[in-house]
Amino acid sequence: MKKFILLNCILLLILSLNGYAQEKGSVLITNGTVITITDGTKENTDVLIEDGIITEIGEEVEAPNGVATIDASGKYVMPGIIDAHSHIAAEDVNEWTHPVTAEVSMEESIDPNDINMYWALAGGVTSIHLMHGSANVIGGQNETLKLRYGADMDGLRFDGAPRTIKFALGENPTRVHGQNFNVQPRTRMGVEQVIRDHFEEALDYKRNRQQYLETKEAYESGNRDNPPVPVARNARMEVLVDILEGEIWVHCHSYRADEIMMLMRVFDDYDIENFTFQHANEAYKIAPELRENNAYTSVFSDWWAYKFEVYYSTAYNASILNENDVKNSINSDSGELIRHLNHEAAKTVHYGKTSKEDALKMITINPAEQLGIDDKVGSIEEGKHGDVAIWSGHPLSIYSIAEKTFVDGKKYFDREEDPNDMRVKVDPEADYDEASRRWYEEGGRHGDSCLRGAEIRFSENEMEL
Amino acid sequence: MKYCKRICTGCVLLLLIATGAQAQITEKAEFGKFAITNAIIHTVSDGIIENGVVLINGEEIEFVGRNAKITTEYQRIDAEGKHLYPGFMDSGTQLGLQEIGAVDVTNDQAELGAFNPHVRAFTAINSSSVSIPVTRVNGVTHVISLPVSGRLSGKGTLIDLYGYSPDSMAVRPNAGLHLNWPSAQKGGTWDDRTDEKVQEEYEEDLKELNEFWKKAAFYDKMVSAYEEDPSNKEQPDADKKMEAMREILNGNVPVVISVDRKQDILNAIEWTQEHPNVHFILAGVKEGWRVADEIAEAGLPALVATLYTPERDYDNYQRPYQNPAMLQEAGVKVAIATGDVENVRNAPYHAGYAAAYGLGKEEALKAITLNGAEIFGVDDKLGSIEAGKQANLFLSDGDPFEPMTQIEQVFIRGYKIPMVSRHTQLNDEYLDRGAGSTN
Amino acid sequence: MKLVRAFCVCIVFLTAISLQGWSQSAPAQAFENVIIHTADGQVIENGTIVWRDGLIRAVGENVAIPFDAYVHDGGDSLHVYPGFIDGLALWGSPDDNGNRGRPAEPGNPSYKRAGIQPNLHPVNEMKTGDKTLKEASKHGFTTAALGLKGQMLPGQIDLFFINGEQTEDQLLEEGIGVLAQFEEAHGTAYPSTTMALMVQYRQLFYDAQAQQEQQEYYASVSSDYPAPKKEKVLEALYPVMRQEQPFYFVADSKENIERLFGLQDELDFEAVLVSGKEAYTKADELNERNIPVLATLDLPEKPEWMKEDYEETEEVTDEMETFREKQEAAYRERMQNIKMLQEAGVSVGYASNGLKLADIQKNMTALKEDGDLNSSQILKLITQSTADILKYGQRLGDLKEGRAASFTIFDKPFLEDEAKSVYSIINGELTEVE
Repeated sequence: MKKFILLNCILLLILSLNGYAQEKGSVLITNGTVITITDGTKENTDVLIEDGIITEIGEEVEAPNGVATIDASGKYVMPGIIDAHSHIAAEDVNEWTHPVTAEVSMEESIDPNDINMYWALAGGVTSIHLMHGSANVIGGQNETLKLRYGADMDGLRFDGAPRTIKFALGENPTRVHGQNFNVQPRTRMGVEQVIRDHFEEALDYKRNRQQYLETKEAYESGNRDNPPVPVARNARMEVLVDILEGEIWVHCHSYRADEIMMLMRVFDDYDIENFTFQHANEAYKIAPELRENNAYTSVFSDWWAYKFEVYYSTAYNASILNENDVKNSINSDSGELIRHLNHEAAKTVHYGKTSKEDALKMITINPAEQLGIDDKVGSIEEGKHGDVAIWSGHPLSIYSIAEKTFVDGKKYFDREEDPNDMRVKVDPEADYDEASRRWYEEGGRHGDSCLRGAEIRFSENEMEL
Repeated sequence: MKYCKRICTGCVLLLLIATGAQAQITEKAEFGKFAITNAIIHTVSDGIIENGVVLINGEEIEFVGRNAKITTEYQRIDAEGKHLYPGFMDSGTQLGLQEIGAVDVTNDQAELGAFNPHVRAFTAINSSSVSIPVTRVNGVTHVISLPVSGRLSGKGTLIDLYGYSPDSMAVRPNAGLHLNWPSAQKGGTWDDRTDEKVQEEYEEDLKELNEFWKKAAFYDKMVSAYEEDPSNKEQPDADKKMEAMREILNGNVPVVISVDRKQDILNAIEWTQEHPNVHFILAGVKEGWRVADEIAEAGLPALVATLYTPERDYDNYQRPYQNPAMLQEAGVKVAIATGDVENVRNAPYHAGYAAAYGLGKEEALKAITLNGAEIFGVDDKLGSIEAGKQANLFLSDGDPFEPMTQIEQVFIRGYKIPMVSRHTQLNDEYLDRGAGSTN
Repeated sequence: MKLVRAFCVCIVFLTAISLQGWSQSAPAQAFENVIIHTADGQVIENGTIVWRDGLIRAVGENVAIPFDAYVHDGGDSLHVYPGFIDGLALWGSPDDNGNRGRPAEPGNPSYKRAGIQPNLHPVNEMKTGDKTLKEASKHGFTTAALGLKGQMLPGQIDLFFINGEQTEDQLLEEGIGVLAQFEEAHGTAYPSTTMALMVQYRQLFYDAQAQQEQQEYYASVSSDYPAPKKEKVLEALYPVMRQEQPFYFVADSKENIERLFGLQDELDFEAVLVSGKEAYTKADELNERNIPVLATLDLPEKPEWMKEDYEETEEVTDEMETFREKQEAAYRERMQNIKMLQEAGVSVGYASNGLKLADIQKNMTALKEDGDLNSSQILKLITQSTADILKYGQRLGDLKEGRAASFTIFDKPFLEDEAKSVYSIINGELTEVE
């Protein structure tokens, strides 16, 4: 009986965790070394977060009534890390069947139960860009999330983040469609035309649909005798139209300099202005052109050589881009790297001697800007969200450990109170010894998580990879 | 059509070789006598010497200490404020066996067949691999490179990362036979085999392994008897696979057992105890912390990494980082093995995580130097800065476990290595393309 | 005692068999000396039930048996239950609807290949010889809403009296709903992900709306207008768009149920949730939306260590203890799904949706043990409550005057070990169960 009561308590706790997950919190973090990112590093400084918003940064800040104080003397306070390229917390990643699947959205493919979110929080990460995979030239829309672990799908969404979409160039789309299915594109030449064809089709759709709606109105209001021939609403075309109208920002999986140049030419022709090249291993070759086109880049610190298009890579990529004033971020694309993005950023100091300040920008304000959320997160400033982490030392040091992580002022990770089992959803049929190895590999570069789903399908059907 | 494809593959290959050659280091390594002075020497075997001197003569370290007479024939390297470390060793990689993961023709780490004790990584080490200079300029001077497929994948090789052929790079051509331990545990929710099926398959795999082992033991006994006294005996037919097992069975070459999960580790331990003359090493051992005492009791060393995600969803997030420390505390000798190829250069950060999560800097340093050398029986040559050992060392401007630290000079086998790789060369070429460049 | 009872049953059996020919030709029939269980939990010992022309005419303790009724004697040991109703069964469905194989363009498969066939009717597709149709009555089922196996939109749902090979002729109503699922197309075809399924639902509605509009316009003018298509797949969705037919939507996870809500908000259809393993997490919203649940009895296996006869073989570490606490909580939640839904005011019935008949009794017993439901609540779930959701609550689901004479006679209370049905009366027709 006693056990039953205990169980009910746990049950209640789980349910209440769910209920409270979206709640905003208040906290005063005192005496820390505050890395603001946008306004230097301030020693012995207090940061007050009230109802999820940073309201005061300064010395000797008084805690308002009922607001808990956390002493961060000797510790570092840093804005939550933002990962501009992630596939954790995803139900499916790739709707790989068609070269263009702009209509699908990761917003509808969120897995709110993924333990990887908690592990990322334990690495000081507070927001991720949950991206569609790279199996198609124009893939699905992405979704920016806050790691409010325990919240439901809707509760994880980053309110007010602009819409973004995945594009992918090079080997992945040409392999999946051309090589496996004899469907264009088989080459980088084809990739360009798939994009242009679809943009043209979208413009036609917009015109025809508009015309139909106008005729229909005229007919229904008696200003016209003949009824219109309906042009059905088209989910795919509507998203493409939104891209062309600048409402959706493009994040393009790309590696080689030539394909990056191609896409910038295409975008120039269609006046598409806001875009980030993801991975962009050869961006270093064309840094001045990227700068010229106001392109962003979001790169790996050091991944290379896992396929031919990343053979001609350099780990100095990020530093070269930074030196050439290209706004760059360091991303993970992995459930493993996301656990230590701070050290991935530190590698830019190793490869190319980027300053520590700029290195930290690459995992905070720069990705925030690329995702259009830099007015809300990415730095410690009054008025911004209370998404911060407390570190035991300077976050770029390998010996520093994230101790507490807050999202909207609410604590989601505390190393001191870190129970073993942090799953929010439990399969009652999983055995203790067998529970839970994830079906996808997280062993660094070996798991091409960008092609997750597509690869699984191929192997299921015993297709040539 | 097929022929066409082959030509294409050939072209890709040629292209690869061509680009590879282009990116090769034109600057040559220097060889001779070097005096490194004023360094903070992390000897590993004998503490830290501040303001120390290391003399290198040919392949060897001639002197380590404070006061040395340095004649003019020594090229002096003033290392004021710099740190000197023994070259780092990654005890489990596929470096040199794989060039580009997704390009099959550049993959030499996986031979067909389940039992291949006779195939040797040594044979297939591509000394021109672009990944080799990329790795060594980060201070990693030695790796074990292992074949990976099947049950007995083949023999791994211990090489240093400087040389024009496997022959000049190999420290131990046959460093260890790789055994992929058959799992008796279900993979996860996606694994739809029943418990019974899993157990059945495991038992089948184990039986197959045992039969192979028995055959090898018989062969060894038979051939030994013949070798001892061939008179009145018919010469047995040679069997290359069985022949390759002889140095394993007599304990001269160890068996590296890749095994991760708790029950599998326990099964592997039990199995090793049936073969007391064989020298065993565990590798991977991701759930080693769950059975650290049992591993320690069996006296088995463990080759481990830290940068991976926990094995089970309900595991504490830090377990991968803490695994080396938890093993070491139980009495297991641990050495760092990343399992990587092109990013073996990150081995120091695996050690750094181990250090930060309980192992401590000193033990972590051993785990990436001397421990590996001891485990593979090459500590007479490698693993520490000691007079008489091979001159494998590097200078850095700080703690090499810190990603922000710069590695300034690497010595391998006495060679002063040019601090150049594809990655630095591309940086040199593209960092500043020049004003108004239209290239 | 047991022997005596068995003996009685034997006698009843023999009499019944020998007189069956007779009974079928009688204008009315009755069972007397039986224990009658009604859907609301009432138990009538020494009861009598009378039926005529396929309808129950009288039920009770002191019921006058009409002169023209052929009377079967229950010998005080047989239990009469309202016929069990399955809110969505796949009995008799072919396994393959031609939705496999590799399309020329994986991104543009035919509707059929994509698993979109809402125009198919089980009554036309059914394999009448399917043994599950026979087995169903052995397990006490007399009525079922039948659907087809498949992916996204496998077809219509037709309501039948279940009677082995004769089922095909016992159609009660065609198209009581359209089956919808979050099931990706098989293998290499669009939609291959949940997110694409979401879009595909929308796009089908957009296309159906356009086609319907064009058809209406075409009908409204006499010339100068292009003939519309008559795509049957889209036409089959018109009644759903007009809320004349509900989607019987299969969803289990909390997230998929949320996705269903999202689609409902956008596309405005009526829904019945089928299966709903985690429906308890959304109980209040289901209630607010007035979505009934045809719950599955595919319950989780009880963890070994929770079983009474379990003996520990290894030391229980703290870590294991935490794991077990969470596992037990998860198990209890899942077992109490139906209870929690009912408490929130959701109308809950039952659907097997592919669950093997052989597992039903085992799962009902587990539901009684760990699901916080007693026998009569379980009985109501699989009878009256399911009938209500199928909108047949006045015709089926209980032993009352005026209801269809579809009921089952068991040799023991239906949840007892080895309880077997001995007779099943389907739409008035008595069949002896082998």
